Amino acid sequence: MSALRGFALAARELRSFDRSAVAHCQVQRPDRYRALEALPADAPRIARGGGVSYVGASFDAGSLVQDLAAFDRMLAFDETRGLVTVEAGARIGDVVRFALSRGWLLPVVPGHARATIGGCIAADVHGKNPAREGSFRDHVVGLELFDPLAGWLAASAHENPERFAACFAGFGIAGLIGNATLRLVRAPTAYVVRRVPVADLVEAAAVLQAHAGAPLLYGWHDGRARRFGRGVIRFGLEAQEAPRMQPLADLPQAVSPWPFRAWNAAGIAALNTWIRHRWCRPGSSNVDVVSALFPLNGARAYYAGFGTAGFAEAQWLIPHERHTDFAGALGDLVASSRPRISLVASKLFDGEATGFSFNGRGIAYAIQCPEPAASAQRAFLEALAELALGHGGRPNLIKDSTLDAAVVRRAWPDFEARRAALRAHDPHGLQQSVLTRRLAL
Amino acid sequence: MTAIVIGASSGLGRALAVELARNGKPLLLVASDARDVDALAADLVLRHGVEVRTLAVDLAGEADPGARVLAALEGLPAAEALLLVAGTSRGDDDLSLGAGAIGQLLAINLHAPLAIAHALVPRLLGTRGVIVGFGSVAAARGRGRNVVYAAAKRGLDTFFESLRQRFHPRELRVQFHRLGFLRSNLTWGMKLPLPAAAPEEVARRVVGALGRGSFARHEPRHWGLVAFVLRRLPWFLFRRLKD
Repeated sequence: MSALRGFALAARELRSFDRSAVAHCQVQRPDRYRALEALPADAPRIARGGGVSYVGASFDAGSLVQDLAAFDRMLAFDETRGLVTVEAGARIGDVVRFALSRGWLLPVVPGHARATIGGCIAADVHGKNPAREGSFRDHVVGLELFDPLAGWLAASAHENPERFAACFAGFGIAGLIGNATLRLVRAPTAYVVRRVPVADLVEAAAVLQAHAGAPLLYGWHDGRARRFGRGVIRFGLEAQEAPRMQPLADLPQAVSPWPFRAWNAAGIAALNTWIRHRWCRPGSSNVDVVSALFPLNGARAYYAGFGTAGFAEAQWLIPHERHTDFAGALGDLVASSRPRISLVASKLFDGEATGFSFNGRGIAYAIQCPEPAASAQRAFLEALAELALGHGGRPNLIKDSTLDAAVVRRAWPDFEARRAALRAHDPHGLQQSVLTRRLAL
Repeated sequence: MTAIVIGASSGLGRALAVELARNGKPLLLVASDARDVDALAADLVLRHGVEVRTLAVDLAGEADPGARVLAALEGLPAAEALLLVAGTSRGDDDLSLGAGAIGQLLAINLHAPLAIAHALVPRLLGTRGVIVGFGSVAAARGRGRNVVYAAAKRGLDTFFESLRQRFHPRELRVQFHRLGFLRSNLTWGMKLPLPAAAPEEVARRVVGALGRGSFARHEPRHWGLVAFVLRRLPWFLFRRLKD
């Protein structure tokens, strides 16, 4: 530790939420702006927000980790125009609750309420219906970031527009995000969530497209071989009557794993059977806004059940024109390789694929697999990547810890040009994380 | 009536500001960097709807910080509470410091609190208010580490004893908290022999005690026992202490 205050570093073992990556890191936890600026200009570093990414996006053994937990303050709120300015370390759940208390809503939020504003920008997260609401970048008016060489910069669509664009799905490379101004929309009282059972992924895609305008829209599917794709599409509409139930506490930053792995074949069968009986039938229910936005708050036991081996989540966005073929081929792949899949989720996308953002036009699938290091599971995930690439799929870099540099370069034929454009904002390659190193970003 | 927090940018000072705002107090927040207290002030105004004013003062370089604080109070409700939480330490405070560094430590930890207290006490007497100082368990007994810091904190302890001797609690409540380890940037990364308390918990107890007369005590309270044992350690044992 340095002798000077503000430079204090602590040795910490940091781990990704999916338990795929772990590193012994030097962590700075600045509590004042001067401390945040105190690192030597040539020191490799990476900003850390909630620390809930699945891919080690906020730490690396070779980088000084700047934990922004103290920078979580609301800086300004325009009640008339629905604009809120917050520091980058503010948790998305806290920002949502603050906005809701004043009748406003941030329409794009990730599932984990402890993700921070800076993390949501760096990952360009999507919300509960990306086809309607876009991704996080569509709701950021401007931001301020700290460049180790140039100092503080303001960026927006009108000021430093290239730097502004590079911050979204820039994974911290474009600089340390200090604060951001977000555009809010009027909040509903609650949502009424309706359920439409589907027999397979092709029917699911049709139902998703039929409800593209709903504020909430996503599907759940059985991942087992003989029932693959069967599930339910849930779409939420604004409701006037709020349910009386209290929202659950936020999912913790790290979930302690159970000493055994619950999601073996029997456990997955039991989980899917319970979900099918509970949700896979027509009907509707009223849900409060916070519970609808942060469904992971009720999933603590689910994540603990992966045990110490953790899990991997593959996310691929398949263009509409190739979707039917892909759905059939994926069903065949699951039937032949019989992987253990604990969850398949589907969403509709209708945006532009900018930079490394997970966006485009098509159907996205999130496929969670326990014990990803096991050879059969790893083989399935590799085959899934080949299948998705063969159907014009794009991976979600901020979710999938199994991707390697070669796969992502095949997904983006102009990968090197995009990488160079992003690194132009960090010419000395100071911003490094487990994610950027694995993908050679 | 207004509460003044000197050293409000981080750690216990920031936690005190939050706790006071939660109690609906108008605030004057003082720190060396305007960015820190301006951000905190904006947050407290938005979340708690209290009146907050900020003042950026370099306590190490300001000749008369008390006058700056008095000027900043203009227009605010009368001052009722002064919390002197500003302080700083350095890892190389082990008899190796130069005159400049010694002066800086003494200015922030001793001169500035005394100067501000001298300037504000007449106002606090007018509202029968409270003045709160913060010492350190490091001052329980002089050691080869935190040399200047501990000397300054012991000086501050003596100053608050003078205040308690001079003013009856009905005129001015004088409270002094000798702090044990706190979870802050000062202790981040250090291997501590005892657990560090959360600043938010300490702030709740400090604010909760503002109406309770005059006293000097340890915070958290179990540090009183630690200091008692430390003071009574035989010299041959004490001089071998590493931490």
